[in-house]
Amino acid sequence: MWTQTQRQLLDAILDELVPPSNDGIIPGAGALGVAAFLPTADAHAPNPVETTLAVMAALEDGFVYLPRVARVAALQLVETQKPDAFATLVRLTYMGYYSRPDTRPLFGVGAHPIHPLGYQVPRESEVLMNELTAPVRARGKAYRDAK
Amino acid sequence: MQNEPVDVLIIGAGASGAAIAWSLLETRMRILCLEQGPHLDDKEFPSRDDGYELARYGKFSCDPNVRGLKQDYPINADDSCIMPVNFNAVGGSTINFLGHWPRLKPSDFRTQSLDGVGADWPVDYDILAPFYDMNDRNTGVSGLGGNPAYPDYTPELPPIPMGKLGQTLAKGFNEKGYHWWPSDVSILSQDHDGRQKCVNAGTCDLGCAAGAKGGTNFTYWPILENAGVEVRSECRVREILVDEATGFATGVLYHGVDGQVHEQKAELVVVACNGVGTPRLLLNSKSKAFPDGLANRNGMVGKNLMFHPLTGVAGVFDEPMLGHEGPMACSILSQEFYETDPTRDFVRGYGLHSGRSTTPMTYALGGYGIDNPIPWGAEHRETMDNVYPFLAGLTVVSEDLPEQHNCVTLDPDLTDSDGIPAPKITYRLGDNTRKMLRHGEERAKDILLAAGAKKVLAKGDDTVWWRAGWHQMGTCRMGDDPETSVVNGWGRSHDVKNLFIVDGSIFPTAGAVNPTSTIQAMALFIGDSIKTNIETLFD
Repeated sequence: MWTQTQRQLLDAILDELVPPSNDGIIPGAGALGVAAFLPTADAHAPNPVETTLAVMAALEDGFVYLPRVARVAALQLVETQKPDAFATLVRLTYMGYYSRPDTRPLFGVGAHPIHPLGYQVPRESEVLMNELTAPVRARGKAYRDAK
Repeated sequence: MQNEPVDVLIIGAGASGAAIAWSLLETRMRILCLEQGPHLDDKEFPSRDDGYELARYGKFSCDPNVRGLKQDYPINADDSCIMPVNFNAVGGSTINFLGHWPRLKPSDFRTQSLDGVGADWPVDYDILAPFYDMNDRNTGVSGLGGNPAYPDYTPELPPIPMGKLGQTLAKGFNEKGYHWWPSDVSILSQDHDGRQKCVNAGTCDLGCAAGAKGGTNFTYWPILENAGVEVRSECRVREILVDEATGFATGVLYHGVDGQVHEQKAELVVVACNGVGTPRLLLNSKSKAFPDGLANRNGMVGKNLMFHPLTGVAGVFDEPMLGHEGPMACSILSQEFYETDPTRDFVRGYGLHSGRSTTPMTYALGGYGIDNPIPWGAEHRETMDNVYPFLAGLTVVSEDLPEQHNCVTLDPDLTDSDGIPAPKITYRLGDNTRKMLRHGEERAKDILLAAGAKKVLAKGDDTVWWRAGWHQMGTCRMGDDPETSVVNGWGRSHDVKNLFIVDGSIFPTAGAVNPTSTIQAMALFIGDSIKTNIETLFD
């Protein structure tokens, strides 16, 4: 879909939109390959490729060689110049990034094993439930009569 | 396709259509249900699919304008701060509802008498109580008996786990001396009646693959179809027909799965399309006898639209709250601020609901029902790594008051895929609701801090959640006065003696709780009233 040059630029953009974790364990959106998701996202935004290209075109040459601080500044400028296209790219980036089942476990609480797995959550014991609800029961009736 | 006359024609196979069909089953009348959506196999639900989160923003969105499927009708909500949401299939919106199951409270039925606002219902809590119980048995309800916020009743099944999040919030409520209680839910806490218990996957809105959630696709409809009730799916009703001479409904015109328009005759017509779909259908059913729409001689069809406007507050805690484990909407519910308190600057009240199982994509995109993504860049990483896992939230669910300017009308231009005019929503928040939401936001902050939150995140900008229009009520209100209501105290149209409405549109007031258990209890009550009055039904 993307040329090699486009892909290099896009990966650099995506890695700024969702950067890697500080410890490097969780990759950024570029390294994770979200670029491949974008052309498939037409169910979630009209013309996702054109929208992405519009953001890319608004950046000056040499973006990929800029230090990170300068990349962020350049993207912030595009965000003000092309707010709709930029917002769409951000939205689609989040969708592509968090829909990868192979990476969700990296997010820990985001793993969400699907049916039939789910999570084992123990029911509160009767003792704990009685202890927690005791103050509420002690206050007595908490509704109005309507007669 | 057979279109032989039937005794009872039900329009809509969601919560209320299923319940009244079950009630009328014992009459041995021939019952047909027309449903614009398809039969869905639970094996196809996105909750079984690794791409489940994307489905939430596509074909399984709660927003019909996002889904845009053939069976969906578009809704023009340009003049509303809340978008109505729904689902069209056999099971209706119970396929993607969240299964929270509180009842209305005694005062909800008497807001005019008690507080001078809204309207009294022709029925009360005591009349409905046995129908709540009946419906709970049919649905499978988990919860803890002895809730001091209600007249005594005990759900059949033990409560679902509150989890660390619920326990933490409960301690905050206790610290403040406020009411709370484990939520009643139509979600099975243990295997029951041939259905599997909840696996705590947290994907309730994407079709419960376990069958643990009490959608009518799992509860009523399998029983009804086995018993001979016909559900004709992918059939969209265009209009209800009336005999100009008698003023009785004679049946409907509908668009069949074959793409043709058919006439279906019936002795009794029951509308069960909820608070937007029902007025839309009535307003589209114009005739010489009813030039402004069926059952609309007094102009009340579509008026008094009520939602439950929502806002949310989240606390950031020191430890992970494990809020991703368990059913989405339900852990605990506080009704401390539910009843009118003359020391406040608003009447009536609100509930505080704990929320959980916001999945990563949904959180990053702003939360369930919200289109406001979190920041990109370094702040994104920080939020997802160091805030999201530590969150526990409270949702303020406010009581809406009936106001005639909030309404459903027909859009002059927009239509569905069969060319039927689409609904247009005109809705704005009332001052009372705004005050209530502000009060709720402040109390939620206090509770979260009391529970140990080190930081509280609140919008504080006087806006409500956009896709929060699950609960659509009031647009064909029930009442004893034919000048101010559309149906009588047992759901029969004042204008058309063989036309009944059984969904949320008949609610005179909204309460501040999820309405499905009350919608179904009312449908069972209306079914019972039909049976009781069968000899003089059309007098």
